Amino acid sequence: MSDEITEHPDRPQRGQVLFAALFLICATLLLAAIEDQTKWLKGKDFFAQPRFWPAIGVGGMVLFTALHFWHLPRKPRRLPRWMREADWFQWAESLFWAVLAIGLALWLGPISAAPMVFLVAIIRVTWLYQHWTDRREAKIWASVFEWAGWFLAYVLLVPLIGYLPVTIAFSLILTWRVGYRSRLMMWSAGIFAVTVVLVFKSFLQVKIPGAALYEYFPGALRSFFILNF
Amino acid sequence: MDLIYDFLAQVQASSSVLARWDVVLALLVGSVGGVLIGAIPGVGPAVAIAILLPATFSMDPIVGLTVLLGIYGSSMYGGSIPAILINTPGTAVNALTTYDGYPMTTRGEARRALSLAYSSSFFGGIFSVVCLIFFAPILAKIAPMFGSREIFLAALLGIILVVTAHRKHTLIAAAMACFGIWLNTIGLHPASYSKRYTFDQSWLSGGVNLIVVVLGLFALSQAFTLLHGDDEKVRLTKLKGSFFQGFRELARHPRIAGISATFGVVMGMIPGVGEFTAQFMSYTYAQKSSKRPEDFGHGSSEGLIAAETANNAVPGAAMVPLLALGIPGEALTAMMLSVFYVHNVIPGPQLFQNDMDFVVALYLALLILNVLVVAFLLVATNQLIKVVKIPNRFLGVCILVLSFVGVYSLRNSLTDCIIAAAFGIFGFVMKRMQLPVVPIVLGMVLGGIMEVKLRSAMARVKTPLDFIDRPIAAILFGMIVLVLALHFRRVWLDYKERKTDEWQTSHASTSFPAILSRRRNYILTERGKRLRAKRKTFSRRLTDKD
Repeated sequence: MSDEITEHPDRPQRGQVLFAALFLICATLLLAAIEDQTKWLKGKDFFAQPRFWPAIGVGGMVLFTALHFWHLPRKPRRLPRWMREADWFQWAESLFWAVLAIGLALWLGPISAAPMVFLVAIIRVTWLYQHWTDRREAKIWASVFEWAGWFLAYVLLVPLIGYLPVTIAFSLILTWRVGYRSRLMMWSAGIFAVTVVLVFKSFLQVKIPGAALYEYFPGALRSFFILNF
Repeated sequence: MDLIYDFLAQVQASSSVLARWDVVLALLVGSVGGVLIGAIPGVGPAVAIAILLPATFSMDPIVGLTVLLGIYGSSMYGGSIPAILINTPGTAVNALTTYDGYPMTTRGEARRALSLAYSSSFFGGIFSVVCLIFFAPILAKIAPMFGSREIFLAALLGIILVVTAHRKHTLIAAAMACFGIWLNTIGLHPASYSKRYTFDQSWLSGGVNLIVVVLGLFALSQAFTLLHGDDEKVRLTKLKGSFFQGFRELARHPRIAGISATFGVVMGMIPGVGEFTAQFMSYTYAQKSSKRPEDFGHGSSEGLIAAETANNAVPGAAMVPLLALGIPGEALTAMMLSVFYVHNVIPGPQLFQNDMDFVVALYLALLILNVLVVAFLLVATNQLIKVVKIPNRFLGVCILVLSFVGVYSLRNSLTDCIIAAAFGIFGFVMKRMQLPVVPIVLGMVLGGIMEVKLRSAMARVKTPLDFIDRPIAAILFGMIVLVLALHFRRVWLDYKERKTDEWQTSHASTSFPAILSRRRNYILTERGKRLRAKRKTFSRRLTDKD
């Protein structure tokens, strides 16, 4: 286990501890839920049990992510001075975790408590080993939710307003949003949107339903738009 | 001799399948589209195949597969263009091309590098298809020997190879493969009709669709990455003259071209190995056997030939485990598998026995495709290189618009789009940290195959040794043990090497007391003697004895 955390472009270490910890927490929660979410059927072969493959999957996720977490280069967080120097604090902290683990084991039973104790240990280790670059990386991950939001808004609007108008509007607004303001780029975005609709909906006839707005169009125009745009 | 006659009869029968207008159109669209997609850094065949997959479901299996195979086979030709001209690989597998291609461009030999790349790719592509066409009858004889346990072991070998191929990321790759296996188990268990990990949610009872995951992990995550990043300034070199000279130069290196193509074919056939290993092996071979190994990485034509020949020999060979056993070896063939399932064509030994025309038609399509691509590139390279100038964030907008078609047209479901967006964010995070996503897709596909095959195989197995009592099963088991043993040996050697490096480069301050002690000894003995001798003439004699 090395304690070097670098900003070298070939080895991005930022966010590694955070990602491994989050993935491990999710995997542990899934493992804890295996008894509730899968069944063990009496009289069925071991390899044909409905629980067999989920156990392989979730068990492997926990095992390999824990090993990956252990092998990551990490550096202990620099705690405030009073925490480092106060013996009583370290004693109290160790005692707190021990009481929590024993309490969980007595309350839930040792087998059910094991994942919970493991979970608590992961959170404790993550808190201790997270680096400031992890927090900066988490902000970047969160910023992607904006693009996912744009995509979902596009998906929600197509059945209401129509594939062609929403695609044109989406391409133009998003092109504007990402910083292209020239006439050439705006025209390119518009032409691209129309081409995509013509190729996929009008020519290849992929399954995209007609919009609710098209219902208000007069007779022949209505069916033409529902079929082609 | 009979085999050849049989085969020629099959080629004749299969050519009628290819002589349809829609197949010809698919060939043209696949080849030109693939080159274009490969030439744009940041798109790549995985994104294009993921987006086009649902659109191909409404086509005939041969038409749909020809389009996808066209994109797969021709994208690497296109990918070499930005790799050589601007030092940015168009597709991930062209990374090795930049080593020798770009230095040639800086020397003013861009045209020579491009024509060498085209001719090597063409040779690799044709070599692999010709090999497979002649192997097809033998494969048809071997494939029926694969029962449930053999297919299970081959799928297991594929997963192990995919995981071990990610050196330095083996543990997280294994975790991701297990994640894929778990994703595949969500929903109703087909044998017992019991729910698994549905959390009583109706939208989970149908399971998680492979195509939705693939679109999220490859297309949406790529769109998010491009939208998040910055544009790069591109300066292109003007190219003048023809591109035929590469064929003459390639003819002067038949040994490197032949061996690299063989590496490509062999590595392509083994599930989970693919282009990177083939390229690495052929490049290392070419360097070791070259008269000028010092030129490698500085614009060596042999290096370029090795890299490009090996990667283009893979697509044809990668169809072997897919068609003969129904086992995809990588993400792209895993996506193609879903086209087979949608049309109720089950790849595997039965396909080779009952539908050999279809298999040969696919190989012939790949053969024609290579010819079409080279013809297109020889004529249109000067115009084609302009696509490199498309700004990155605009490409992100385009991929987002196209991803909608892929996800929404599948089942018109908002839930699918939300799941795809979630996997898009997950894929973005993985890309940021350079962690592998391919094991997730292969875990999903191979996990499903392993579950079914293990269940049926275990019904006839009494003791553990019965599982490997058939020759092919025993060979596959031996291969699994060998791969694992080699991997653990590699891990041990890496560990030893790391420890040696740490010891050799350890900072002086780590042995500070020792240094201090040596310094003190020096000051007290050697330096003291010299200084005292020097000062002897200017001062009175010391009273203490040395």
